[in-house]
Amino acid sequence: MSAAPPDNDVLWARGIVKSHHGTPALRGVSLGVQVGEVLAVTGPRGSGKSTLLGCLSALLPVDEGEVWFNSSPVHTLGRTGRARLRRDRFGFVGSQPHLVPELTARENVALPLLLAGAGNKAAYTAADEWLERLDIADTRRLRPERLVQSQRQRIAVARALAPLPPVVFADDPTAPLHREAADQVLRILSSAARSHQLTLVLATHDPELARYADRSVALADGRLTPPAAPTPAPGTGPVAVAAAGTGSSAVSATPR
Amino acid sequence: MFYLRLARGYRAPDLGRWLLTAVTGAMVAAFLLRALGRAMSDPLGSGGAVTRLLWCLPPLAAVAWFAAVAARAVPGQRPERITGLITAGAGPARIRALIAGETALAGAIGSALTLLLFLILRNDIAGASLAPELGMGVELPPAAPVTLLVLVPLVAGLAAAAAVPVPDTLPGSSPRPGPRGYHPLRLALPTGLTVTGIALELYGLRPGAAEDGRPVRLPAGLGTSNLAALGGWAVTALGLALLTGPLLAWAGRLLVIARPTPLRLLAGRGLTAEARRLGPPLAVLALTLAVVLTVVRYWVHAPGTADILPAVEAGLLVGCAVAAVLTRLAEIRTARREITDTLLGLGAPPRLLYGAVAIRALTAGTVLLLTGGLTALLGAAVLA
Repeated sequence: MSAAPPDNDVLWARGIVKSHHGTPALRGVSLGVQVGEVLAVTGPRGSGKSTLLGCLSALLPVDEGEVWFNSSPVHTLGRTGRARLRRDRFGFVGSQPHLVPELTARENVALPLLLAGAGNKAAYTAADEWLERLDIADTRRLRPERLVQSQRQRIAVARALAPLPPVVFADDPTAPLHREAADQVLRILSSAARSHQLTLVLATHDPELARYADRSVALADGRLTPPAAPTPAPGTGPVAVAAAGTGSSAVSATPR
Repeated sequence: MFYLRLARGYRAPDLGRWLLTAVTGAMVAAFLLRALGRAMSDPLGSGGAVTRLLWCLPPLAAVAWFAAVAARAVPGQRPERITGLITAGAGPARIRALIAGETALAGAIGSALTLLLFLILRNDIAGASLAPELGMGVELPPAAPVTLLVLVPLVAGLAAAAAVPVPDTLPGSSPRPGPRGYHPLRLALPTGLTVTGIALELYGLRPGAAEDGRPVRLPAGLGTSNLAALGGWAVTALGLALLTGPLLAWAGRLLVIARPTPLRLLAGRGLTAEARRLGPPLAVLALTLAVVLTVVRYWVHAPGTADILPAVEAGLLVGCAVAAVLTRLAEIRTARREITDTLLGLGAPPRLLYGAVAIRALTAGTVLLLTGGLTALLGAAVLA
């Protein structure tokens, strides 16, 4: 057993190994994510970004290694425990919107809150607020099939942010979008994370989009590669600076 | 022939579809061959031959109905297979032909087995009671059984070909959902039919109706009836069957009124969204059950009227209707797998999803009880 994870890391992983039906996706990844930090995970397609986010966000169980959230173990949780953790603590935006097609935009956004047991009024008020903030308030009574892809993706972003979860995962959220819409979605995600002190873990295959992050790590073939040069981060917050100083959350590649 | 190799990848649902098509095809073939045998044994012009052939129509329709519903479910249930075929260069026509060919082959094998049995029984094995049904002692004109037996695979294959949806999508992407909701005309027509039908039947059953006489002789030993009552019932049954889908959609809307919990929200919206797909098979099942139960009740109350062949036929019809509903449910379940995964990803407990399915089933059952019950009630009034 390892020592308990550092206190200031909201998410902490050590030596995660994960394979999909025999195809190795992650071969020993260790990293820590600090509270309020915007972390970018970059890498080409097939490098294991989605699997890493899946393992961190408790969607996938890990084959080997440990994942800790707020100093409590995630890798030992069963299916139900992971589901509860996802519902109450995490938000997730995928590369496809994955909305429930028969629900209206507003109901889709309110759904995580309703599932978590919030009252109807609170859930729908929050949903309306986020739809307003994302500039799609006029779509709230429409079903996803009547919207264009960028609107759907923004609804998915609103759905992930509406419960204000401590950690938001975004797995290539800009994949289906044009450059302009992609920029907008990332601006919204990162600014929401900063203004609400949320932690954002962002996977992207586009190194240029990593400029929205405080810090970025690179994945290749299921392993973290040592950062070649510090990423210029225009909006670097004090948290990231502190993180760089402590070194406790420094990225370490653990070859096997 | 190359495409038949795909059968090596068959799993339980495909095999079940295949087997059921073959079995029902065999039963319809038995009805057809019996009609042929009787026609050969009876003296020329003794009548009843057309009636016996007409008795073959309901089971034939049942086979076609099941083949159509099952063929429609194939692309949804085996998306990887359809994707592979499209990527390999098979166009919509070829995929349609492939599924229709499979269905027709199953029907042909079932019919051929029945023909084999028919020929074996004709070879002096059948006793005296069966002899007239098989046309024993009369030479069999070869064209006759072949013509009759081509009918089953042809009907099943055509029904399957007509039903297969082949949308234009990229390989791997799920097809766009069809239109939701109902056109106002689609609502007005069945409502009008139901109201007219009930009025007509009430006119036919009015206190003084006995003077009109009961000129219509019903088949299967069901006695006689008058035209207005029978026509009224038929129109009402059609209207209620067509109204099943819209009623399901409305029931779904009813579930989500007044601050719904997530359970009610998911159950109701899901029911409304799937009403178009669920409606037809459920309507056919309700209608079949209503007719069969009414007839069985009549038989029980008037002993001596029951006949073995209508009873077998009723069993076949109910079987096909139930199988069609199960196939459609499996299709919907597969189509909603992505939605289920999304909900589970959001952390929805499985209990909630099962609960939503249970509420949907309960609501759909209530709607069917309403339409089917009304159909059965009015049918019983016609027979009384």
